[in-house]
Amino acid sequence: MAATNKEAIMFRSTLMALAVLSGLVTGAGAADTLTVYTYDSFAADWGPGPALKAGFEKTCGCTLDFVATDSSIGALRRVQLEGATTKADIVLGLDTSISGEARATGLFAPHGLSFPGLDLPSPWTDAEFTPVDFGYFAFVYDKSKVPTPPTSFEELIKLPASFRIVLEDPRSDTPGLGLVLWIKAAYGDRAPEIWAGLKPHLVTMARGWSDAYGLFLKGEADMVLSYTTSPAYHAIAENKPNYGYAEFTEGFYPQIEIAGILKTSPHQDLAKQFLAWLATPEAQATIPTTNWMYPVVALGDKLPAAFPALPQKILTLPEDEVTAKKSAWIDEALAALR
Amino acid sequence: MRPFADLSRPHRPLRLLAGAAVALAIALAIGALFAAIVQVAATQAGSRPLDDLGYLLWITTLQATLSTLFSLVIGTALAWALNRLSFPGRNLLVALFSSAIVTPGIIVAFGLVAVWGRAGWFGALGLPIYGLPGVVAAHIILDATFAARILLERLDTLPAARLKTGRSLGLSPATRFAVIDWPALASALPGLAAIIFLLAFTSFPIVLLLGGGPAVETLEVAIYSTVRLDFDLGRAVSLALVQMAVCGGIIVLSALFSPVAPTATGTRLQHWPDPPGLRVVQWGVVGLATIGFALPLLASLTGGVSGLSDLLIQSGFWMALITSLAIATASALLTLGLALVLGMARAATGQQALRVALFVPGYAYLAVPAVTLSLGAFLLVRNAGWNLESAGPAVVIIANALLSLPFAMATLGPPLDAIALGRGRLIRSLSLTGLRQFTAIEWPLLARDAGVVLALAFCFSLGDLGVIALFGTEHFVTLPLLMLRALGAYRTNDAAAIAAIMLALTIAAFFLVPRLTARLAHAGA
Repeated sequence: MAATNKEAIMFRSTLMALAVLSGLVTGAGAADTLTVYTYDSFAADWGPGPALKAGFEKTCGCTLDFVATDSSIGALRRVQLEGATTKADIVLGLDTSISGEARATGLFAPHGLSFPGLDLPSPWTDAEFTPVDFGYFAFVYDKSKVPTPPTSFEELIKLPASFRIVLEDPRSDTPGLGLVLWIKAAYGDRAPEIWAGLKPHLVTMARGWSDAYGLFLKGEADMVLSYTTSPAYHAIAENKPNYGYAEFTEGFYPQIEIAGILKTSPHQDLAKQFLAWLATPEAQATIPTTNWMYPVVALGDKLPAAFPALPQKILTLPEDEVTAKKSAWIDEALAALR
Repeated sequence: MRPFADLSRPHRPLRLLAGAAVALAIALAIGALFAAIVQVAATQAGSRPLDDLGYLLWITTLQATLSTLFSLVIGTALAWALNRLSFPGRNLLVALFSSAIVTPGIIVAFGLVAVWGRAGWFGALGLPIYGLPGVVAAHIILDATFAARILLERLDTLPAARLKTGRSLGLSPATRFAVIDWPALASALPGLAAIIFLLAFTSFPIVLLLGGGPAVETLEVAIYSTVRLDFDLGRAVSLALVQMAVCGGIIVLSALFSPVAPTATGTRLQHWPDPPGLRVVQWGVVGLATIGFALPLLASLTGGVSGLSDLLIQSGFWMALITSLAIATASALLTLGLALVLGMARAATGQQALRVALFVPGYAYLAVPAVTLSLGAFLLVRNAGWNLESAGPAVVIIANALLSLPFAMATLGPPLDAIALGRGRLIRSLSLTGLRQFTAIEWPLLARDAGVVLALAFCFSLGDLGVIALFGTEHFVTLPLLMLRALGAYRTNDAAAIAAIMLALTIAAFFLVPRLTARLAHAGA
């Protein structure tokens, strides 16, 4: 732990020294503004945005501006439409299900950073994107209402139809897409069978996570597709320890939120400096209780105790396969539900 | 209507010219949006084929047709019952009903869940609120109440003389409805039907929340995902054109078949109740409507109370409130202006082709998929070299005004026509100028309706996410945007409180603004 911290700090100070030097060379002054496109709840008053802005501006001698779009995909689409004239230096909040497509746009520059001290499911080797935070998709339930939750998709689909679940539409929402990938990673060609089995339990496929979660909180469903970290929100912010997530024996599918620097950005060094800082324990300490995701570095005592231990079995899919077959997999799932 | 139209209508070339200019400008703006998208789409690789289009069209049309039929029948029954009854709190109840249509769909849908859902107030009844019944039910809450509002205005403003004659002839309730009420209602029905069909056809959050899965969806959902997930703009444009073709057909049909209103516009002076037996039925209709329509809204109001104290201390909330109020006021005034110009131009001519041409652009905006509008507006602003931050508010005001325009035209169109036809000879014989015609005759008669239009447009704008939400800005946050952000961050109490505040503002606007304009007009007259 201490070693990780120290490494990160050394790494950061080296980088800052470099940045200061390059700033001197290029004549970039204190008036530099770093513009980050992100999704709205990241930039909101209660999200990580304000704390990250304050923390980074203390040392960078710059202004950090978050521009909120309705979703991270919205941020990517905006940059694609703006092309070379975009004001954005960084797009933050994309995830590993859309990273292949984002990479293929050719808009993102290699970051040239290395992240040795991360606490992630696998070592970080991505050349264009840097890690922001991560979580695992999971079905969340109320322990006081569901004493014995299902322990796998197969057990779930065998339950009586009165056991209701609410999902998100994969065409409009990231967790919705995440479930398509989760089931595909766990069951491969048997995925349509699982989807057809979910159909009798389905309350609805909401447009977004917030609608689905709202229905669940109103008691319309026994379980909702969310994250393993959702129960921690209720425990910490609302002092309600009665929420949990269902441990599925198939394993869990991760969502890693990432950030990338645009090739068109005139602030390449400042952008790198920010993304490197973002992966330090100092910045990461704001993530758990503002974005309710896991930090990408070990925080030790600073990670609230209500955050559950990381799952043992992790499922993955190759990025190029996700990019190529995503649409076909969504169609397959929707067809099984119709 | 054609044989006597041109003789009896006052000759108003300036009004026709102004109306034509507005209609043309709207048509050009929508054309420009599409052109901007097509321009970008042309640079993209090949599109995916439109494979499930047949199913999408079928399910969307079925759902929209059911929503329209039920809304009109229920709306007519409710207007009829409310017109016959007189009780304290009637105006407040009408204001509550009116507020349904401008309430963000997602709030109504959640209100429905709070009342009829598994864990709702009447959850034990086990009503089906998901799937096709749920979607149609939510649309009825939104649209039947709107229909009732518009139709009630027609009935309440029937000339007192006509009622007096009817009463002295001892007309039976059925004959009374057929002879006196129906002609006044019939002129408003085609326009209403078009609006409700378009709203249901393009519905999005309600359909996903209550649709129960991908078996019930709309073309709008497919277009959204094509733009967002696939970024396949060519396919999106094709789908959008299909949607606009269907909706355009409906708009033209309703323009062709909308009969000219008989002489209307008065104030509710004469109260002529039906026999006691029928009044029981009328009380039943009003009671059921209150349970069905008002309860979901009340559930949203009461659900937000607990979050108020936390919300009111957030400076972000006050900023968003001020922004929303300013945007809503500006777009309400713009809506009223556009609707008057278009409505007066339509009333000035009896030529069918010209009347359709003046009608269609006002409604066209409802037919265009929201994500297409958003994308097109974004591209237009960029192509024009404007800064999104500074152009944002103007774009939102214009977009919101265009969104309310069909509703405003449905409200003001029939009475303007009625005045032109009913008092045309008088106006001609007095050689009134267009301005005098407006200040001396039209405005005093229309003031209440104008108030309804202002309230409607104000509330629509208040509840609309705005075309720029999709692509975002730094400092431009409205109440609905703030609500979505709160929902996206587990802050359901904040979101519920914002929903309750928007709803309270909406009900207040519907209650107060029409009274205010009526009073202003009569103080001036």
